[in-house]
Amino acid sequence: MQIVACYSNKGGVGKTATTVNLAYAFAASGRNTLLCDLDPQGASGFYFRIKPSQKLTEARFFEDAERFVKSIRGSDYDNLDILPANMNFRDFDIFLSHMKDTRSRLKKALKAVKNDYDVVLLDCPPNISILSENVFRAADAIVIPVIPTTLSQRTFEQLLEFFQQHDLSTKRIHAFFSMVQGAKTLHGEMIVELTRNYPKQIMAAKIPFASEIERMGITRAPVLATTPNSPAGKAYQALFDELIERI
Amino acid sequence: MNLTSTNFYISVEQLNNLAISSIQGLTPALEWDENEHNFAILDCFEQSLRKSRRLLLAIDEQVELLTEEGVILSQHVKPNTRFVAEFEEGPVKKALADLSPLRALLTIASGTMKTGTLILTDDEEKTCARAKLQKLIPANGKAVVLVTPQGLRGYDQALSDLTTYIRTHGGTPLTAGNLYRMIDHSCVNYVSKPAIEIHPEETVFDTATNLIATYLPVVRANEYGVIHDLDTEFLHDYRVSLRKIRSVLSLLKGAYDVNQTLQLKMRFSALMAPTGALRDLDVYLLEQASFYTLVPHTMHAGLDAMFSLIADRRMEEQARLAAHLKTHRYKKEIKALVKLFSKKHKLKPGPNSSRASHDLACELIWKRYRKICRLAATINVATPDEEIHALRIECKKLRYLMEFFGIIFPQELFDSILKSLKQLQDSLGLFNDCSVQQLSLQSFVDGLSDEQHRFIITQSVGSLITILHQRQFAEREKIMNAFAHFSSDRIQRSFRTLCQNKKEL
Repeated sequence: MQIVACYSNKGGVGKTATTVNLAYAFAASGRNTLLCDLDPQGASGFYFRIKPSQKLTEARFFEDAERFVKSIRGSDYDNLDILPANMNFRDFDIFLSHMKDTRSRLKKALKAVKNDYDVVLLDCPPNISILSENVFRAADAIVIPVIPTTLSQRTFEQLLEFFQQHDLSTKRIHAFFSMVQGAKTLHGEMIVELTRNYPKQIMAAKIPFASEIERMGITRAPVLATTPNSPAGKAYQALFDELIERI
Repeated sequence: MNLTSTNFYISVEQLNNLAISSIQGLTPALEWDENEHNFAILDCFEQSLRKSRRLLLAIDEQVELLTEEGVILSQHVKPNTRFVAEFEEGPVKKALADLSPLRALLTIASGTMKTGTLILTDDEEKTCARAKLQKLIPANGKAVVLVTPQGLRGYDQALSDLTTYIRTHGGTPLTAGNLYRMIDHSCVNYVSKPAIEIHPEETVFDTATNLIATYLPVVRANEYGVIHDLDTEFLHDYRVSLRKIRSVLSLLKGAYDVNQTLQLKMRFSALMAPTGALRDLDVYLLEQASFYTLVPHTMHAGLDAMFSLIADRRMEEQARLAAHLKTHRYKKEIKALVKLFSKKHKLKPGPNSSRASHDLACELIWKRYRKICRLAATINVATPDEEIHALRIECKKLRYLMEFFGIIFPQELFDSILKSLKQLQDSLGLFNDCSVQQLSLQSFVDGLSDEQHRFIITQSVGSLITILHQRQFAEREKIMNAFAHFSSDRIQRSFRTLCQNKKEL
């Protein structure tokens, strides 16, 4: 099982849209996929039309394997389940370690419902906290959307520093350019500069600033499901293909 | 992952009605794919799959098995595959391992199929439950839709509501109804061993007539399969039914007038006569695989040549029998016999005709059992094959008698005796097979003219006969053991109770 975290220490960079489309792509490729919506402000569940559950707010939630399994919801798509938001993340690190431990009660509970996952995608909240540090340690890959602007460059570099300070390997960082506007000279220049400075961390795939992605709020479905042949659809597919190659 | 529950079938009209109004606050919608597929419902002649609450669908080049538990298994299958044994290895083949390997899969209905989905969505238009739909539009018969509800994780209530709604709005669980009948009202339910009701006080005449009138339709039901060579069991069942009819005539002595009995025996023997040669060849071919395991590899070439000759002969013999069953003469005769036993008025009562069946049954079974005990007591390693063969025939007669009258005896006692008889018969059967096979292999070789491969065939058959002889010898000991049990005090007491304590029955 692989854990893929989508993370950004800056809001509004297209992180949730990325998580939703990657989750869809993982599932469509035949992998049994669980998307965990950890971002209280995020909208992964919203994009899949899943109502937030009020029952999941109790503190020791992640220690209770059966309750965890019960709160998973099937999406409208094959192989793709969602763990909705609105929960307390205090014990999230315990959850992650259980997710990796084949002997844990959580694993056994998942197996009992014939639903062990090949991939767990995490839509992480946008701040550096104990939670994010735990996620960074547990995840096999950390996918980071970066808007090619000077401000985003600073936050990306802050994140790399955080990794170095906390003895975390930057090899697991897979960044890509998000909301790219081809017409903007600044975007073009930033892409060249950042790619040159961080060749190992930055992927080739780029997600354009596209109306299809904005419209996800109305269609409430991944772009890959509604308009797979649009520029945004193709870009998400390319991002997925490249990510699969790297991890 | 989707969870599967009960499978249903429903008429097209009722399905459309399902999607009209909301179901527990959820909105239903029907979606149909544009593509059409070819489908066929497959089952054995006895409808073993339907009776074990399963459904086998061939869809284009796939086979799909809906199990009793509601699970759908599927695998690829080559076109025109007729026997489960010919399937490639896969989940469907594995799940069908219990079917008789001798039975062909026949097409119950075929036509075009459209797939679709019944979707239940909530006020956010989120899917909460679905049902997979397979609309079967048969070339002949009524269209029907298979409905397989599929739950989504975390939406158990919606699945339960959908299932209940389907059930209460015209859906029949696949495990409870008869889908074949819904498609085609005239779909016949074939039973090779029909249950026959005999009242203890019923007369011998009535019992004999009921038995024959019940077995005659079984004979007729198998004609089509023999003519079209669907599988070898058609001829087998055809012959077994005729043999049972002949046994009724010979075992229930005096049911009919002596002359009429004699005539009837001749008429039924005449029906049986043209079937023997084909059955013998079938048996050879069915034994083919086991023959190969008996002799060393070096002898296989001879067996190849022999079986290729047998297969050719079988084809000729099958064509001959099929032509015979299609003749006006055959049809006229079998129809006349059916009429004779259904109308009854031309049947002439014999000396025992008005006796109570139960009394005669007890007498006959007891006499036959005593006779078998006497015969078998003399068996030792030196007993000639013919005597063992005679014992086998006696056992077979006893078995038929017991099966004819089984229904009027106490179940538990009867079953324990029958079990012991079956064990003895199994050993006798194996012994006889070895003996008959040696003789017929010998005569097969003798009958070879200057045909090609004569030498290698003779060599392989020689080797085979030696092994069969050794087997036969080993079986003799088993017969003696099986008989020791059959004639033990316990079984004797059981027979006595069964046949002589009439008041207790």
